[in-house]
Amino acid sequence: MVYLNKKEGISKGSNICWKNILSSAIVAVFVTILCLGNLAMAQGKLKPVSEEEFKKGKDIYNKYCAACHGEEGNGNGPLNGALYPKPRDFTKGQYKIRSNPTGSLPTDADLIHVISVGVHGTSMIPWDILELDQIKSILPVLKSFSEAWQYREPEPSVVLGREMQATQNTIARGKELYEQKECWKCHGEIGHGDGPSSYDLEDEWAIPIQAYDFTREGKYKGGATNKDIYLRFTTGMNGTPMPSFANELSDEDRWCMVHYVKSLTKQKKDRHEE
Amino acid sequence: MNYTKKLMLFLNMALLVIAIQFSGYVQAEKEKPYVPKKMDIYEGFPDWYNSVFKDNVGLKEGAGLFKDYYKPLKMQMYFSPLRHYEPPTVMDHTLFIEKERRDLCIRCHEGINTGAVEDWRRSAHFNPRKSGIIARKTKIIEGAIGKEIVSVDCFDCHVDTEKKQIRLPSAEECSECHERQVREFNSEKDHGRPNHIQAWEANVLVPWYPEAYRRGWLAGNGGCDMCHGISDKCDPCHTRHTFSAAEARRPQACMSCHMGPDHPDAESYGESKHGVIYEMEEERYNFDKPLAHVLVGEEYRTPTCQFCHMYQGGGRFTHNFVSKGIWRMGTVPPSNIEYKSSLKDYPYGINIIAPKIDIHSEENLDKRDKWIELCSNCHSPRFADVYLEQLDDFMFQAFGLTDDAQKIIDDLIADDILYPSSQNRDIYPLGDKLAELLPASLIGDGVWNAFKKTGGKVPVIGPILGVYALFYQGENNPTHIETSYAKMWFWYKLQGYKGFAHAQQDIMWWWGQSPMLQELGNIQSEAMRMRREAAIEQALGSKASHSQGGGSESHQPLTKKVSEFLQFFSVNE
Repeated sequence: MVYLNKKEGISKGSNICWKNILSSAIVAVFVTILCLGNLAMAQGKLKPVSEEEFKKGKDIYNKYCAACHGEEGNGNGPLNGALYPKPRDFTKGQYKIRSNPTGSLPTDADLIHVISVGVHGTSMIPWDILELDQIKSILPVLKSFSEAWQYREPEPSVVLGREMQATQNTIARGKELYEQKECWKCHGEIGHGDGPSSYDLEDEWAIPIQAYDFTREGKYKGGATNKDIYLRFTTGMNGTPMPSFANELSDEDRWCMVHYVKSLTKQKKDRHEE
Repeated sequence: MNYTKKLMLFLNMALLVIAIQFSGYVQAEKEKPYVPKKMDIYEGFPDWYNSVFKDNVGLKEGAGLFKDYYKPLKMQMYFSPLRHYEPPTVMDHTLFIEKERRDLCIRCHEGINTGAVEDWRRSAHFNPRKSGIIARKTKIIEGAIGKEIVSVDCFDCHVDTEKKQIRLPSAEECSECHERQVREFNSEKDHGRPNHIQAWEANVLVPWYPEAYRRGWLAGNGGCDMCHGISDKCDPCHTRHTFSAAEARRPQACMSCHMGPDHPDAESYGESKHGVIYEMEEERYNFDKPLAHVLVGEEYRTPTCQFCHMYQGGGRFTHNFVSKGIWRMGTVPPSNIEYKSSLKDYPYGINIIAPKIDIHSEENLDKRDKWIELCSNCHSPRFADVYLEQLDDFMFQAFGLTDDAQKIIDDLIADDILYPSSQNRDIYPLGDKLAELLPASLIGDGVWNAFKKTGGKVPVIGPILGVYALFYQGENNPTHIETSYAKMWFWYKLQGYKGFAHAQQDIMWWWGQSPMLQELGNIQSEAMRMRREAAIEQALGSKASHSQGGGSESHQPLTKKVSEFLQFFSVNE
């Protein structure tokens, strides 16, 4: 936009002369060629899709996704106002639920997984109602919304360590880490999502968000299996204050955390039964 | 960075092109004319306003006989689920409907309509066997519709499976399972106004409604519309999406509409011993039980609105709230007393308002017996009988007081002393059109001729059509004295009535009888002032009559004081 404004300044100036007009025309042509060139180059980085295939995906996107995520992919569809949590804005290329290291773009498998199983606690339903082919056809559309996809490649999925069995010890170790790593600051001392920092949490879009309440059963956004939760500890959630613990904690410790946070739901259940 | 800037420029240009193309598309997609979608199930009574709900509620046109004379408030389209809803255009729901994915409705809408889904989870629709009583009811419904009910979810009410579209259910859809309740509720219209079913008709078929539009005041009538829009719906009492019978059995279910100066039901019941005890011991009341099974005294220490007004005699309760109504709203004169004023000619040949009520007719005595039977749940039949008799006596004398007031104004009009006279002021609401719009067969030859001849400059006082003072104020129409009378008629008499009927003695006196007497006093002194001024005018030799319409020459004899004053005046001249 700065560039545009500048140009406007020139043409609106009092010294309109042929030289200026000519030079701006030359610049304009040059810029256009450059842009087209860039685009051609950039598309080379993406998996090539035929125009027809892209259009097919775009139709499905507009029919089923655009109501929330917007035709421009900016999360500002007609239903945006009615939704909380807000629909994902694809233009930043930030995806929370992935299987690869923090900061990375999601793999195709990640995208397909999230679309097919939905996101719990949000209006993102499991789109298993669509054929797999249809879901796949949406991916190039999602990728077209952010230039991130032109310059970066998704990193490969992390390798899952062998899952540990939950024991009293692993839960106790998880609890220790929960305190040590200050999880409680957001997620609360007994996992209610009501820690001291929880009240002014924001994501990168400056939208207020809530720390997860572990006592709600099975409503984890990224899925409620041990593996899902392990992945969140490992990959973090891009765009949110939830960090990755891949470097800070050992594989075993991350499993211990999984066991501990899962035990919080159970504790609530036990309390109810009493 | 350079790349980004250039790309931005390119994208901006591309967006501009898209925007230009898009603007054409937007223009092409003009507002489509509204096409009524469905026949209304309510036929109404009598027949001439059939179209009220059929195709006119809200949107482009008005309703009923005056429909061409006002443009409805936009809000009105929301009063009927059949009128306002357009199936979603932003998200094609056909796929969900075809595959009958009931689970997905909930998953998505939990985030959009949070309250609605939560309400539904608490409802008997979610769990039709959540209690013994509800399980028994479910069993009855299963028998009636010949289908097992596991759960009633979004799909069952909100999907039109034939059209493969989302719909908003009205009473008709509810009646697929709750046929008896809807039928009973509909039967209210067989008892004449006022009733819930004809509430909308009563709202828009008064001439001051189109007049309010003509004067640019209709936005203010939103206050009337929002209660009177009840007719096509079940959710004013059984609120969305719990649709709870227990909730609708609580007095609070009625209170947001049944309150205020013309029907202070909430106030009078709420502050009566019945209501106060209910408020103090609410938790002891068992609202889960159908009314017919309530153990009076044990589960209800005092009656509720529903307990009395839904009672049909013989231990039966139905959704008809008006079947025991004797005095209607307290606005129709009884035939049991002698009138001095023009009230003796009520309803003046007008067929669209109720004729005089014979409080002691066979039918009304039957109703009375049902009331006594009801009160006898707790009180002695003699007490109930005496109380109700006294209520009648109060109403008779209240109508007597209004008769006195009407006589005073009748005489002023007859003597051409009412000032400003109907000739010298604004018309009666929509008076210039009434003769065109309402045939003589509906409003009687006399009234029709009067409107025809005068173009609407007709004095109208007294019951029903005379209460326009509370809804319309033209220039000098009505006058102060007529407004006093309308208040006496439509506020204070009704407040006294409800105060007495709901056993709230203070409302009965201070908001009923006392202000009624005060207004009568105001009317008397105002009348006297007018007569005195007329006498002064006459004595001063100015035009004897201030109206062009002529009138009686003979004035009432002047009081002593006025005569003295005039004498003094003439002597000094």
